[in-house]
Amino acid sequence: MNTELKLQAMVDGELDARDMREVEALLAQDARHAALLQELKWTKSAIAGNEVELALPETREFYWSKISRSIEAEARKAAAAAPAERAWWLKLLYPATGLAAMVAVMFVVSGGRTTDGSDSENVPEDVNAVSFRSESEKMSVVYVADENGNFSPVSEEVKNAPEADK
Amino acid sequence: MAKQIDHKAALDVQLVAASQAGDMLAFEELVARHRDKIYARAFSMMRNEEDAIDLSQEAWVKAWQRLKQFQGDSSFATWMTLIVINLCLDQLRRQKRTRAESIEQLDEELGGVERQMPVVATNPSEGLERSELRKRIDKAMNQLSYEHRTVLILHEFEEMEYKQIAKVMNCSIGTVMSRLFYARRRLASLLQSLKKEQQS
Repeated sequence: MNTELKLQAMVDGELDARDMREVEALLAQDARHAALLQELKWTKSAIAGNEVELALPETREFYWSKISRSIEAEARKAAAAAPAERAWWLKLLYPATGLAAMVAVMFVVSGGRTTDGSDSENVPEDVNAVSFRSESEKMSVVYVADENGNFSPVSEEVKNAPEADK
Repeated sequence: MAKQIDHKAALDVQLVAASQAGDMLAFEELVARHRDKIYARAFSMMRNEEDAIDLSQEAWVKAWQRLKQFQGDSSFATWMTLIVINLCLDQLRRQKRTRAESIEQLDEELGGVERQMPVVATNPSEGLERSELRKRIDKAMNQLSYEHRTVLILHEFEEMEYKQIAKVMNCSIGTVMSRLFYARRRLASLLQSLKKEQQS
């Protein structure tokens, strides 16, 4: 910091003790800097508290009306922006929902029955029984194993039989 | 339901709390109380009535939107003043970018000019009526660049320290000190010229 700025900091009370001692020593033997210090003090005291007083050249109602209209307009803008934000989140949900639906379908399919009309077997691991369904014959058969492990049908069900067969 | 208050009799802090809860009438009362000060600060920086009205109104709109952020660390008036000062500085920076710099302004920015000015040996404000002194100061301020005027306003009228001014003006403390030094020296010289003009 140069000497002039130190003089100013002194006037503003922002000079530390070490610099203050240095500036005071300088001022004791330098008339130009002493005069500059005086000028800075005059200027500071002339300005302080002497700001020109101004009043708003508009009535309270007129001035406020523009402010309130702007506040309302900004609020409307913010409200209009809100659905767009929701739509942005929804866009992320679409693929997630699709994926979930696909997983659900695969789970159902892997559960046993096919939907293409072909025959299928379902063998639970903890039950000594086997079920069989034929889509083409519209029938289901359940086989239960005897003590020797031989399967024999115990029930037979025909669904969706044509009206003519009833 | 929000507690009803007597807006005219309420303290600023009560009006701020009510405004934060969405009471527009409380906010209108705050505007009515501080509008002159906020307008005057905008005018002192912009030196233009139309800009000062527009920017002061914009400051009130911003204040309403940011009311939740006001924690009461300073007075409401100080907080509002900072909002309008920042809006004015943004506007002045935009204006500066679009206009050609004068040679004098470039000199001011580069620094050093203030050292060549002769020291004002007599107090130029001595013997002046306060109203006359205010007018002269205002006239002299009008002749400073916005950077020098702003640093004087913040230091002498808003009573900010160098560090606070640097933060508001987004510059270093050294720059604040240089600008303040130049502004004061130039102001002293302008006040002296005005005094001489009147005497002759």
